[in-house]
Amino acid sequence: MKDLIRVRSLISAEVEMLLNQQVKKEAYSSAVYLSMASWCNRNGFDNSSDYFFKQAEEERQHQLKLYKYILDMGGNAVSPEVTGIKQEYNSFREVFEEALDQEISVTQSIKNIYARCLKEQDFVTNEFLNWFLKEQREEEYKARRALELFDVIGEEGTGRWQIDKHVGDIKYNSEA
Amino acid sequence: MVTTLIDPQASTWVDVFSTKQGAVYQSDAERCWYVDFAGKVARFDYRCLLKLKKAVYNVDIEAKLLETSKDPDVEIIFICACDHTYILTLMQIIALKELMEGTFVMLQLNSILQDRLYRIAV
Repeated sequence: MKDLIRVRSLISAEVEMLLNQQVKKEAYSSAVYLSMASWCNRNGFDNSSDYFFKQAEEERQHQLKLYKYILDMGGNAVSPEVTGIKQEYNSFREVFEEALDQEISVTQSIKNIYARCLKEQDFVTNEFLNWFLKEQREEEYKARRALELFDVIGEEGTGRWQIDKHVGDIKYNSEA
Repeated sequence: MVTTLIDPQASTWVDVFSTKQGAVYQSDAERCWYVDFAGKVARFDYRCLLKLKKAVYNVDIEAKLLETSKDPDVEIIFICACDHTYILTLMQIIALKELMEGTFVMLQLNSILQDRLYRIAV
């Protein structure tokens, strides 16, 4: 008996489902960053707003990368429904704290898919996910560094203005 | 495992899984599956078979069992972009679900065997 499912699709139904969940997660992240960009802009943190616009665009690119991979491998990519985006934040710091939480949850979720692929010996998808793992190093670093600015600069006086000024300069150019 | 159907085509059909209520056969030549259930043999390609599985799994059997309204316990399994529709009673839904579960376990097992055998042999 031929393996007809394998003929149609390189990835298993389980991996396809997990990748589709990740597509949804990235779409959600992108929408959350967009909402953060709006909040920062409304509250006078223009540099941070630009930073979050860029992040929103990046998450969108991640989403498309996953989406196209699923299709290229013969799977069914599902355009996700994104709801429940938080629009208001209590403080400038809270925005960055939630940004880091968001990135951590994305890393965890990619680790989960990676583990599943290892179990199935789906090395092709593992190799594809390597790019995401490396990307998460940068994403988490940037979010963590932004929060660090709150500690080293402090929010008193013109602190928040200074923080906003430096958020755009955060870069990850590690050789590691 | 060759099917016991007396259809001339049946010689190329391979048993995937069967229960007392129905059976699923695979045709390698046509790259499709034949589902023998509720008095008809219906042809499903890969996408449609997945949709059928999803449609059957999505029926909330427990909620249907607990429902006390006088509506007939009939469920319509309609699959988008597929030629077949099933109009089934709750008992048939349970039977079809069992058939689908068994079928996909067998297909997965076949995948695993093929993967393990041919990765080394070819």
